[in-house]
Amino acid sequence: MRKWWLLLVSLALWNILGYSLAQTSRVAATDATPAAATPTRIVSLAPNLTELLYALGLEEALAGVTLDSDYPAAAAAKPQVGTFWQPNIEAVVALKPDLVVALDFQQQQSVVQRLERLGYRCLMADIWTVDDFMRAVGTMGQATGRQPQAEALVARLRGDIQRLQNAIAGRTRPRVLWVVQREPLRVAGRDTFVNELIELAGGENAIGPTLHKYPPIGAEQVIACGAEVIIEPAMVESDFARQRETALAYWSRWPHVPAVAAGRIYVIDGDLVSRLSPRLYQGLETIAQCLRPEPPGE
Amino acid sequence: MHRTLSPRTLLIRVASAAVVLVAVMLACALVGTERVSFVNALSGGSDPASPNPDFEILMHVRVPRIILAAIVGAALAGAGVTFQAVLRNPLADPYILGISSGAGLGAILAVIGGLNWTLFGRSPIAAFAFAGALGTVWLVWVVGRVTGKFHVTGLLLAGVVVNACFSAVIMFLTSIARSQEVHATIFWLMGNMAEEEFFVLWVSGGSVLAGLVALFFISPQLNALSFGPAEAQSMGVNVRRTQVVAFAVAAFITAVAVSLSGLIGFVGLIVPHAVRLVFGPDHRQLLPLSSLVGAVFLLLADTLARVVVAPAQLPVGVVTAMLGGPFFLVLLMRYNRKVCRLT
Amino acid sequence: MTASAQLQDVTFAYRPGCPVLAGVSLTVERGTFLAVAGPNGAGKSTLLNLLAGLLAPQAGTISIEAGDIRSYSRRDLARKVAVVRQESIPPFGFSVAETVMMARTPHYGPWGFESQRDRTLLAEALDATDTTQFAARPLADLSGGERQRVLIARALAQDTPILLLDEPTSFLDLKHQIEIYDLLKSIQRDKGRTIIAITHDINLAAQYCDQALMLQPYQGPDTCERSDPSDAATGQYRIGPPSAVFTPAGIEQAFGVRVFAAPVGRESVILPLGHLAADAGKIGLQQASDKATPSEPNKT
Repeated sequence: MRKWWLLLVSLALWNILGYSLAQTSRVAATDATPAAATPTRIVSLAPNLTELLYALGLEEALAGVTLDSDYPAAAAAKPQVGTFWQPNIEAVVALKPDLVVALDFQQQQSVVQRLERLGYRCLMADIWTVDDFMRAVGTMGQATGRQPQAEALVARLRGDIQRLQNAIAGRTRPRVLWVVQREPLRVAGRDTFVNELIELAGGENAIGPTLHKYPPIGAEQVIACGAEVIIEPAMVESDFARQRETALAYWSRWPHVPAVAAGRIYVIDGDLVSRLSPRLYQGLETIAQCLRPEPPGE
Repeated sequence: MHRTLSPRTLLIRVASAAVVLVAVMLACALVGTERVSFVNALSGGSDPASPNPDFEILMHVRVPRIILAAIVGAALAGAGVTFQAVLRNPLADPYILGISSGAGLGAILAVIGGLNWTLFGRSPIAAFAFAGALGTVWLVWVVGRVTGKFHVTGLLLAGVVVNACFSAVIMFLTSIARSQEVHATIFWLMGNMAEEEFFVLWVSGGSVLAGLVALFFISPQLNALSFGPAEAQSMGVNVRRTQVVAFAVAAFITAVAVSLSGLIGFVGLIVPHAVRLVFGPDHRQLLPLSSLVGAVFLLLADTLARVVVAPAQLPVGVVTAMLGGPFFLVLLMRYNRKVCRLT
Repeated sequence: MTASAQLQDVTFAYRPGCPVLAGVSLTVERGTFLAVAGPNGAGKSTLLNLLAGLLAPQAGTISIEAGDIRSYSRRDLARKVAVVRQESIPPFGFSVAETVMMARTPHYGPWGFESQRDRTLLAEALDATDTTQFAARPLADLSGGERQRVLIARALAQDTPILLLDEPTSFLDLKHQIEIYDLLKSIQRDKGRTIIAITHDINLAAQYCDQALMLQPYQGPDTCERSDPSDAATGQYRIGPPSAVFTPAGIEQAFGVRVFAAPVGRESVILPLGHLAADAGKIGLQQASDKATPSEPNKT
């Protein structure tokens, strides 16, 4: 019986010791580096943030990017720090950054927390809607001392979007089915940023409000939704034409759906619309082209 | 002639294994995606004005992770030994009584619920996973006792049922969650090692070590229990008390492991078997040696997972399965004299 | 008081209202060799489990060495009573030596290791059961009979005043059957232990035991009421010297068979026979057909 008490007491003492050690080290720790007014070594953990940094003219200051930062092409030559889903902390630390930018979701949150514990300055951008993105541009501009460029970018984007809105004003809104995945069939619902893009480009989501953000749907809903345009973003940047062929073959099983009957099935560059980035307007333009009453020449 | 275990033999073996563990820890500290110069790192701590990345990486990134891997590996292997003994089932692993689905459910609830409060400054996922794991074991224990005082069949069945139900709930929640949340949960479920802060490592390490010592204390009773509760009781073992202590402690250290690193399979199942094949089934030896071997194994697996397809990372669970399987087969062929019977 | 084990008015039922043992009272003196026999379902194993402390009676008291069995802790009871059951194979490959040493678990030191005395007892137990040559081999590698001897060795190593055995010779060949009985008898005689063994081999038991207990299945009316146990002729059990209990008439009545008895030494050899046995005629059993059928003599 004695050995059990010995064990419990030892454990209690161990924990108390640990707690007091932790307290003293917390007290002794000095503040993190005072924030540099203009960071000179920035690591970006998300591809759209990389694009943004380039758009703000910060190519020189960019010290590291994730593997999937493929735009602009020059970004691929920068030192790599892992992938968007799994940033490599060792690589980040090895680059001695004075600012790390990341997106605000679970995966990156935990990486940022760990980096902050190590004393690095981090900035998290919460980008779920177009407005969020505009705000993030502003925040980024402030953090990097590029307010003028940030404001110019926001103004330009807002201007472009406004022009687009004016051009399509008054047109009927075609019903759009945005296909994220074909087998099993998943589409973008109303509660996504894609939906916002569709509406800005002059369309309307063929799917009504759903519980899921990206609901899997069945044949019934395909027929019932009466989609007039089907858009499939292609993530792989290979032959868009060939992908469109397989798409047409797939959708031919529902010949009475308006989009299929009219042949309005489009495969577009997924990069432009999978993330909110400075190329936002290009993405909107591409979508708007698909939604024009006359079928575009492809 | 020592036909049974003596304290001296045990101490020698445990000490040797501990030395191997320390050596592996040192070796793994020098392996990673970045070239780290040991000499450079030794030259001193980080001063904000002139950061020393070698030191940073070594002391603040690698060492905590290495300690974490050792703690988790030891906990999973020790729990595996215990569950196999109490359930008298060589196919038991630490997750058999619903711990995995309970922890997963806790994790996904935390992710989806968007809760923000933390335990010791760690993410809510860890706290909820811990609570989920322990809560589920308790549930299985209560449900499983319907078949009678000592029967383990009831526990196993209850574990299967609870696992199935919770997995279904997890799948449903996964289907309605945002894609990032889904990814986060799945990633967590596949097992990952992250650097934790000092206090977390200190407390977890101490708790796991205390748990393993407690299990060592009841090892003679676990030996006797292998013959069945009636036989064990005739040999003077308090079967009820042994079962309760074994389950509670093993579940606790598994919950700690799972909250630290997600679900990592294979370690708790294979390491006990491998050690048993080489050293025999005496739990006084099997338990400490399995814990140490489990720590080494997970450490190696994690280091490999980080390095083999850099800059991406393999999930640790994949590496443990790929490493463990063939290694175990080799052992089986060489030591088939002591193969355990799957009766 | 020289009572090693005592049951007073013990009633036990697995299902309420249907007792297996009803109002059983018996005393086993210290240093006695008691053989327990009876048809299947008579409650022999139940009796053993009650004495081992694994079952608790619904009524009555059980005393082990003058102390109520409920007053013993598990550990203390294990120092008084050792049990040998039908062989079982654990799922993990314990060796013979490890298996036998487990009996010393209640005697381990505070850190769970055996002492020199434990090792001495181990060696003696292996030697007495002729299993020393198997010491390092896994239990699963042995034959059924060899495993049986190992389990007996384990009970011996437990070094208890009382040994309970459930059909200890059921898997053994003739030579080893005799050896085990000789061993048990020598333990009884030289070390003054109390042996209680369930057996189906009445003839062999009669040669070795001092007392015999014949149990019969509890026969109450359909409502499962208690019958008067003191009625020796139709009651549930009879206890006494083997010559008084293992009588041809007693066995015929208890088991419902016809037997052929022939005197051997101080006892009788009792051979149950059926219709088609070669010597059925000797005990008045007619063969079903008149044709003489060559058949091998039945062995029990």
